[in-house]
Amino acid sequence: MSFFDALNISATGLTAERTEMDVTSENLANAQSTNDGTPYKPQAVELQSVGSGSSFQTELASAMGTGDDGTPGGVQVSSIVNENVPDQLVYDPGNPQANKQGYVKEPNIQPVTEMTNLIQESNSYQADVTAMATSKQMYSDTLDLLK
Amino acid sequence: MSLLDNTQLALESAMSGSMLQQSVLANNLANADTPNFEPSNVNFQQTLADAVASGKSPTSVTYAPYVQPQVTAANGNGVDPDTTNAEIAENGLLYQDMVQIAAQRESILETAMNTTTSG
Repeated sequence: MSFFDALNISATGLTAERTEMDVTSENLANAQSTNDGTPYKPQAVELQSVGSGSSFQTELASAMGTGDDGTPGGVQVSSIVNENVPDQLVYDPGNPQANKQGYVKEPNIQPVTEMTNLIQESNSYQADVTAMATSKQMYSDTLDLLK
Repeated sequence: MSLLDNTQLALESAMSGSMLQQSVLANNLANADTPNFEPSNVNFQQTLADAVASGKSPTSVTYAPYVQPQVTAANGNGVDPDTTNAEIAENGLLYQDMVQIAAQRESILETAMNTTTSG
């Protein structure tokens, strides 16, 4: 356990949520990208919790035999994957990329879903910021003990 | 009898327990969207109370998080962000109280030792 654990853990949450927001924006921006017949695939972020055995401090603590007290390590983005959804066919016979029946393959991106994700990510981000502010106040109180 | 009494040692021990709880709760919140994540918590009050009741020194108490197996979301996640936020706020205020009490008790000691030069 190191002194600023709580702050670092909240920071990992902020990083993860920001990555999710980046990917959501990317999906929205590419809602019309047909890419010459192979439409853009919506992407999703996979999150993974970080165990206590990952940081330098915990490695040092176990090497020194002072032990691991079970302080958690936060969250990390394990991968950004293509969502497994079929492309949607849109009837647009005037489009140069239309097939014989007049359909164009477009990315299967639902703006409503993406906007809902964005709201949820924004809320999680704010929750992490609030937790960070509380932790900062606690550290500040500790330092005030020395006054 | 040592310079710091049992209450003071217990306060300091509880502060480190509260700090661990803060880390654990922050971790729950950071993992609020992680699939199949089970939240943890620390009950430092109970651990400390048990140790004091059994006559152990508060300085020898070690705190450990326990897992709360529960599921609140469709992706198997068990974190309730609102409850977690409330717990974080409560823990922050509790910590602030403990710091103030500890500081007050230390200033009483200081007065008794007359470390502050007067006049």
